Amino acid sequence: MDTLQHLGEGFGVALAPLNLMLAALGSLIGTIVGMLPGLGPINGVALLMPLAFALKLPPESALILLTAVYVGCEFGGRISSILLNVPGDAGAIMTAIDGHPLAARGEAGVALSISAWASFVGSMLATCGIVLFAPLLARWALAFGPAEYFALMCFAFACITGLMGDAPVKAALAAVLGLSLSTVGLDSNSGVYRFTFDNVHLSDGIQFIVVVIGLFSVSEILLMLEHHASGGGPLRTSGRMLFNWREFMLTRWCILRSAVMGFVVGVLPGAGATIASAMAYTTEKRLSDQNGTFGKGDVRGIAAPEAANNASANGSFIPMLTLGVPGSGTTAVMVGALSLYNITPGPALFTQQPALVWGLIASMFVANILLLAMNIPLVGVFARLLLVPNWLLVPGILAISAVGVYAIHATTFDLILMGVLGIVGYLLRKTGVPMAPLILGFVLGDLMEQNLRRALSITNGETGILFESTISRGLWIGVAAMLLLPPLVRRLRRLRRVQAPSAT
Amino acid sequence: MGDRILGAVCLVIAAAMGWGARSYTAEFSYEPVGPRAFPELLAALLALGGAWLLVRGARHSAASSTPQLAATHALDVRAVAWCAIATLVYGALFQTLGFVLATALMALPVGRAFGGSWRQVALGGAGLGVSLYLLFDKVFDVILPTGVLAFVLGGR
Repeated sequence: MDTLQHLGEGFGVALAPLNLMLAALGSLIGTIVGMLPGLGPINGVALLMPLAFALKLPPESALILLTAVYVGCEFGGRISSILLNVPGDAGAIMTAIDGHPLAARGEAGVALSISAWASFVGSMLATCGIVLFAPLLARWALAFGPAEYFALMCFAFACITGLMGDAPVKAALAAVLGLSLSTVGLDSNSGVYRFTFDNVHLSDGIQFIVVVIGLFSVSEILLMLEHHASGGGPLRTSGRMLFNWREFMLTRWCILRSAVMGFVVGVLPGAGATIASAMAYTTEKRLSDQNGTFGKGDVRGIAAPEAANNASANGSFIPMLTLGVPGSGTTAVMVGALSLYNITPGPALFTQQPALVWGLIASMFVANILLLAMNIPLVGVFARLLLVPNWLLVPGILAISAVGVYAIHATTFDLILMGVLGIVGYLLRKTGVPMAPLILGFVLGDLMEQNLRRALSITNGETGILFESTISRGLWIGVAAMLLLPPLVRRLRRLRRVQAPSAT
Repeated sequence: MGDRILGAVCLVIAAAMGWGARSYTAEFSYEPVGPRAFPELLAALLALGGAWLLVRGARHSAASSTPQLAATHALDVRAVAWCAIATLVYGALFQTLGFVLATALMALPVGRAFGGSWRQVALGGAGLGVSLYLLFDKVFDVILPTGVLAFVLGGR
């Protein structure tokens, strides 16, 4: 009952006029950013974070704004998937498979409304999941010492590299690069300046916002150049604007199943919306594609990935809020946002800053309702925004990025560093190095080093402490499983694929 | 090919990190692990990953070069280079020229790279510069540099 009382207080925070307005604004911006091809939640959050800070919003309001943007992005990604056949963000890739054929058949309105509904159910279910599980996990996490934290962070890295799919070594390299970037600056324990090259601007470390905006926004712009030649404009939203009762009944179990699956995947550090939506789509296809309609415009083929990607986006707040260890690139950016306010997320947050945590959770409910209300009637308006040409949009994004970077310290150094990191990020992404582990490494670097050093100073340098408790042993087993299982599974699958043609 | 370069670059960075970290010793040490250990651990991991890519890249280079790299056209490279340079110059001139002028200037090459005509990008860039300046500086109170336009916009 404690939880309900806290949630009530949270709603008090979330429904305060300023926060309600910010949730609405964030939802709107999030939908637009998510919809624009090439820009995903991480860009949206990265763009708005410095602005929220520059506007001197109180921490809970800033977090509410960013959360609404994140959730809104997952809603928005589907619009361009359906109308343009170009996913607006990575989580919406699967939505295009059935969404675009439906739209091409003149049922864009149905596709958009059923996907909005699925997104809503997925989000709501996952938010309920946060309310149920986050306090439990936070209480359990209070037992974590430095050794357990170190193991936990290793587990997060193992997840994000193991599940990244095709290039685990590159993902691991990305994580190490991120960790290395975080060592730049003053070492607070010993007072030694590391990798600063005697530059004043680096003595405080590399600014988090500069890294995020450089690696994500600027490099994204350079990447966009390669596929900006868009074939034809968006399809018109015509015909029936709302799904009917039959479609509702057809999708209801599929949405629930996918939402639960998405939530579970989202809670795992590192997995995230892309994997969740792909899993939900393939599962649903296997379960219910009797007539071979998947891929040709089946409503279930849109409902499943949309429910899952929204659920996983919400679910990824759990490790961030309760353990202080973000599970995805976007939540890593949020941890960075909190650190601007000198707030370290973690189990203690639930007892020390209940207004912040519960206000955030309550505002997720509010944002979801606002998003559903916005998305069904206003979808035509959003669709028209897809007509904004890239030659205007891209300079605009770059200018806003620069404003965000400039707002922190007002130095030319940071702006140039933003450009340099953007180019480095572009080159890394071209060689197949994912950015999410890098940003996770950058965010966790300091915490990881501190916990390692603290653990080792308890035993005066004896590394045995890292493997002493049951919790840390379990986590290390998890690390091993995450690193060993995916390649094994892949190899097995490849073997089976080689055998299959020879068998028939 | 790309993988091998990446591997080599990682090795170089790892070596530089290891070399740079040598001198990091705390004058007063009240903990067993100093400021040196963590960077050295990272450098070792980086070297390991880099070496792996280098060796594997060499073995695979004939069979399959990275498909993404092959897909880049000559035209794209030029457009990417223009945008990259524009971003750096934008950063460098942001304070001196001021937000409005720097933005209008940056929008020219970037807008051109994204297929706008000269007329469109000139008007669009100027519009962006002025409207974003008004939005952030005047409405949101995020102070932006006025640069050489200080006499019009009020010197700050």
